[in-house]
Amino acid sequence: MSIMEYNGAAVVAMVGKNCVAIGADKRLGQQSLTVSTDFPKIFTMTDKTMIGLAGLATDVLTLRDQFRLKTKLYQLEENRVIEPQTFANMVSSTLYSKRFGPYFIEPVVAGLDKHDKPFICSMDTIGCINFAKDFVVAGTAGGNLYGMCESLWEPDLEPEDLFETVSQALLNAVDRNCLSGWGAVVHIITPDKVVTRSLKARMD
Amino acid sequence: MATSSAKEASFSPYEDNGGTNLAIAGQDYCVIASDTRQSRGYNINTRFAPKTFKLSDKTVLSTAGCQPDGNMVVTRIKQHMESYKHAHNKEMSTPAVGQLLSTMLYMKRFFPYYSFNILGGLDKEGKGCIYSYDAIGSAERVPCLASGSAAALVQPFLDNQVRNCNQVGKPRIMAASPVSHLSLDQAIKITKDAFTSATERDIYTGDNLQIFIVTRDGVEEQVHPLKRD
Amino acid sequence: MLSEIVAQYSNDAALTAGSAHTGSSGLLGRDFAKMTNDLIFDLPNTQDPAEFLNTYTDVDSSADNQIKFAHGTTTLGFKYDDGVVICTDSRASQGSVIASQSVKKVIEINPYLLGTMAGGAADCQFWERELGRRCRLYELRNKERISVAAASKLLGNMVYSYKGMGLSMGTMISGWDKMGPSLFYVDNDGTRLRGDLFSVGSGSTFAYGILDSAYDAGLQKNDAIELGRRAIYHAAHRDAFSGGSVRVYHINEDGWEFISLTDFDDLHWDYTDRANRAT
Repeated sequence: MSIMEYNGAAVVAMVGKNCVAIGADKRLGQQSLTVSTDFPKIFTMTDKTMIGLAGLATDVLTLRDQFRLKTKLYQLEENRVIEPQTFANMVSSTLYSKRFGPYFIEPVVAGLDKHDKPFICSMDTIGCINFAKDFVVAGTAGGNLYGMCESLWEPDLEPEDLFETVSQALLNAVDRNCLSGWGAVVHIITPDKVVTRSLKARMD
Repeated sequence: MATSSAKEASFSPYEDNGGTNLAIAGQDYCVIASDTRQSRGYNINTRFAPKTFKLSDKTVLSTAGCQPDGNMVVTRIKQHMESYKHAHNKEMSTPAVGQLLSTMLYMKRFFPYYSFNILGGLDKEGKGCIYSYDAIGSAERVPCLASGSAAALVQPFLDNQVRNCNQVGKPRIMAASPVSHLSLDQAIKITKDAFTSATERDIYTGDNLQIFIVTRDGVEEQVHPLKRD
Repeated sequence: MLSEIVAQYSNDAALTAGSAHTGSSGLLGRDFAKMTNDLIFDLPNTQDPAEFLNTYTDVDSSADNQIKFAHGTTTLGFKYDDGVVICTDSRASQGSVIASQSVKKVIEINPYLLGTMAGGAADCQFWERELGRRCRLYELRNKERISVAAASKLLGNMVYSYKGMGLSMGTMISGWDKMGPSLFYVDNDGTRLRGDLFSVGSGSTFAYGILDSAYDAGLQKNDAIELGRRAIYHAAHRDAFSGGSVRVYHINEDGWEFISLTDFDDLHWDYTDRANRAT
């Protein structure tokens, strides 16, 4: 079994009208054994930027702390909040700094920039950025998520519709993947607030 | 003096020619569809190589995977159906073909067909009927199914749209129930949507979409264009 | 009519020679009578067919065209004073993909015999179907039902003759015969064990945990059934390769009886509600 499939994860982000959504499952496993059903994979970096980390759980924790440190240092040095684009580049260079012994993580970044323009991107394990205008996916349910998103997503979704779309994509994708699921969480980032919802999902 | 020892060249009889197929069963119909691209690695061999074949007025078989193996499965199934017809003076029913295909695949247990099959049609009561297989003949009757190179992309979409999975307030179709509640028009629309989406992300799927519609009146075939990139 | 059928099949020469019975052209191009005794599998033209197969089917192999068979399971069965309880999940996985959530892992061999499925789905389906056919022939020849011990031994011998060829099968054969309730474990390397309580499959350790904590031969029927269901439920929750729905069967002197098929999702929220109400 690949190391990317050791713990299991499903992460997805989508662009809506003046809003973005990012969602992930809640499982932490050790191969076939489900260890936890409340393991966060999405982390708040600034008021309007979040990162989802799919891959090896130990690297999820390491990178979470590293990115938190780096965003805070950026804020202190620059005296302004980091933009999602800038943050994505920082994530990319952090991953590339371990080019020959990589973190086993596929990150997904979602946020609104200073003009409240939606931004999403995903990366491979060594930091090659995929800037997408519609949706990005990562994790063991990646194939399933692509199929769902490609069929359900449409441009300019309002926050509530975007939430429904992301949720349906996520739930139905993890229901066909052994290694992810056991609950899910979705964040909708709008110019004035972030709405976080936990989804009731199959627990097998 | 050099000594030469006999060496066995590795035997690799399989090739993945890609392709996706899908089926949806309804109260009085069955839709079986597949794309027509045949590829080899990153190359496209041909843009029109049908993978789905009419076996009788109520049975259709679709194969993806290694094209020669798939063709062999179809040929041999047709042979058996023909000899059954002469021996019993009646057409083989879809469930009977379903069991035959399972046994046929299992007889190649130690040298499997590299072929992912979907058998669709109408059962004796005239209800839609789909059989799902793995490469060596583990069989099951299901209400909807995707298999082949884009199966992972299409299957969750079918679960959601055909079986109403995770849709609060809509009646859920159990995974074990034989048919869906969709109308034929809805099923065809979902089929087309599923293939346009799969074509976007799966490089082995595309070119044309072949849809077979099995009803009491027989088998109707439609061909629709898909993206060719 | 019945004696005709008996006569046709009780002639041993007809079975082995494959010449006495000349029916229709026969399944898979081979004479049917021959088929009934000697299954002829197609083999790859290599020195070691088993090794060839491993290249393409082993999970650790790096061959390009991997053939992934349906796998993964939790099944259990236990004897108690009033009979036997058989429970299974219904998930089939190919790699980390869930191929099906609705597999029927209990195979109804005849009204008094049940088999369960774990390991390769096709292997179990095919050989237990073949077992059903052989049990029926036994019944026609001997004018009495086959015992559970004999049936499980038939299956054990059949798969034993293919040892080393890569069959994958962990099954329980259970039923009711002259001796009362019986439960056997049979697997692909030829192991055949008689026992009171078994659990087989990737989630079996979880199921054993629940079973052992509450198993008692003096259990009431309803409690026994509920114990089996709970054991599968907990296994499906913790084991990634088990899930779907829980299927329950019960066996007593009248043969087997189908008890229930419950979607895991409904079962889970039902159990959590009950737990919440209790606190």
